[in-house]
Amino acid sequence: MADIGSQREEICLSLQSVSKHYGQVKAVDCVNLDVTQREFFSLLGPSGSGKTTLLRIIAGLEQPGDGRVIAGAQDVTSLPPYRRRIGMVFQNFLLFPHKTVSENIIFPLRMQRASRTECDEGLKWALDLLRLGGLGDRYPNELSGGQQQRVSLARGLISRPTLLLLDEPLANLDRELRAEMEVEIRRYQRELNIPFVYVTHNQEEALTMSDRIAIMRNGVFEQVGAREEVYTKPETAFVASFIGESNHFDGKAIDTGATDMKIEWHGKTFIAPRQSDISPGDSVRFSVKCEDVDIVAGGRAKNAPEFNQVTGRLRDIIFKGQTANYIVETQDKSEIVASQGPRGVDVKIGDDVVAQWSTSAGMGFKI
Amino acid sequence: MSDVAITRRHAGRIRISPFLVLVAPGVVFIFLFLLLPLVVVIVFSFWRTESYNLYPDWNLGNYHALLTEASYRTFLLRSIVGALIASVICLVYAWPVAYFIARHGGRYRLLLVLVLAAPFFTGVILRVVALQGILGPGGLISITMAELGLPPIQGLMYTQNAATLGHVYLYLPFMVTAIYLSLANFEFALLETAKINGAGPFRAFFEVTWPLNWVGSAVGLVLVFIPCLASSITPQFLGGPNATSFGMRLAAQFNEAGTWALGSAMGVVLFLCSLVVIVLMSLTINPRKSGLTARGLD
Repeated sequence: MADIGSQREEICLSLQSVSKHYGQVKAVDCVNLDVTQREFFSLLGPSGSGKTTLLRIIAGLEQPGDGRVIAGAQDVTSLPPYRRRIGMVFQNFLLFPHKTVSENIIFPLRMQRASRTECDEGLKWALDLLRLGGLGDRYPNELSGGQQQRVSLARGLISRPTLLLLDEPLANLDRELRAEMEVEIRRYQRELNIPFVYVTHNQEEALTMSDRIAIMRNGVFEQVGAREEVYTKPETAFVASFIGESNHFDGKAIDTGATDMKIEWHGKTFIAPRQSDISPGDSVRFSVKCEDVDIVAGGRAKNAPEFNQVTGRLRDIIFKGQTANYIVETQDKSEIVASQGPRGVDVKIGDDVVAQWSTSAGMGFKI
Repeated sequence: MSDVAITRRHAGRIRISPFLVLVAPGVVFIFLFLLLPLVVVIVFSFWRTESYNLYPDWNLGNYHALLTEASYRTFLLRSIVGALIASVICLVYAWPVAYFIARHGGRYRLLLVLVLAAPFFTGVILRVVALQGILGPGGLISITMAELGLPPIQGLMYTQNAATLGHVYLYLPFMVTAIYLSLANFEFALLETAKINGAGPFRAFFEVTWPLNWVGSAVGLVLVFIPCLASSITPQFLGGPNATSFGMRLAAQFNEAGTWALGSAMGVVLFLCSLVVIVLMSLTINPRKSGLTARGLD
């Protein structure tokens, strides 16, 4: 009994078969999810995948066609947004332009009919937390984008909601600021111990900040898991291609062992980790992350059974700073991309090279 | 490039600056149709009329009469109060209409606004007469009441209320258009933000929608108040004996009475009243706080 009780306390948000259909379009299709108290949870997906609709359902801005939303041990499915005690931060900030920074921030407290002293204390706390001191009397149009987003976060957090929803809050900020805010947002989440549900189409953002990530596509979760898990062990071909940069080989499984299998691709044979649902003869898409592929100058490559090797010509090097992408063109004009630190590699464009990766790397999916 | 420009100038071509081209029509209009008549009226108001003739004897007699004769004060006060009531009724009535069009009009928004303004395609007199046909003794309402065997409604016609109703009917489209134009630029997503942050629909309206669209309300109030204040035809047709307005008396000075000087003085008084209203209203608009400027800086 006690166990169930404590577990209930743990789970802060629970979605139970939540669906939202617009005519034929299934924006959200029977989604189940539990988010716990200490979690930073990201919904990651391409645009049109239904992640924003799902967030709006949690907020109460959309009614689900089916299913239940439970926030803080209370069924809020039929509650309007202003009764849910859920905070939300928007991509375009949506500060009230006719109110000062202070008035914007204490708005939620005023709506809860908090006393004057509560408002003052809350305001001081929020201004300190988000380092907005001295800006209280400004109007939103007198602030920079980063400051506006901070105000928006302060407004979302001041009433200590049971849950904070963030809808692509960093999409309108420049790269440098975004990196800074990623760290900050994660810090607020840890300090305040409020679960955050973060919607983004930017996988770097999701990977940097989240504890768990749900990859969403066409209204359903393709995979839900810890960030490392989603990155290293994609469960579907879509996740494999969406997260990180990968090479894809469409081939055929020709032999399956206990832990590995052989895949035939363009007359070559690869060895790859075995997926339990694949049997010989199946069409298979094999994905391997670009950073798992090494580039070796043609003459120096040694035949090694623990590597899959493909020979080709180095067609281009795309320098990215910390890493570079080496684009290898095979004899049949296919491309393989290897991502490596540029210093260790001694090859030039036009050289004969070998692209190789460990037989334990990558993942095959039935197609 | 610059060489070409110089030779042209040397060739003696007259170049009219585009700035002047843009400014001139407005300046000419304001001068001819606003400043000039205003100056004329102000000048006349200090003159004297006798037997339908104007004499340039500078005096304050007209203003003295307006200030001392109780009937003028009554007319003016009646006009101001009547215009105020009509403006406020228009405001309350127009908000839901404009809100509906802006929020749910979709691609028919402009069409809906045009339909509301359609009565303007006919003349004022026609519209007032149409109203008589509805409210009057042999009108739609009386006949319906009689058919249903109900007693007639007292004071439906030829009262101050009927005049006010006429004003609301005539000028409501101004108010709707003004509020609609403001709402058309309003970021409705701010309402969602307000709701997420704990504001019910009612509070969200008064915390966000109302203040951010005050410009529309204020412009609408001015646009309705001023013609109602000066109105003469509507109270004349609908108002009856106890609704004589300042505007009616003013019109009479230029018609039957032929006292142009006094009429001009009354015009100046009306103008000053309108000016006060415009100044008061513009003081309530804080461009810094209004949504219009904030949106521009997004």
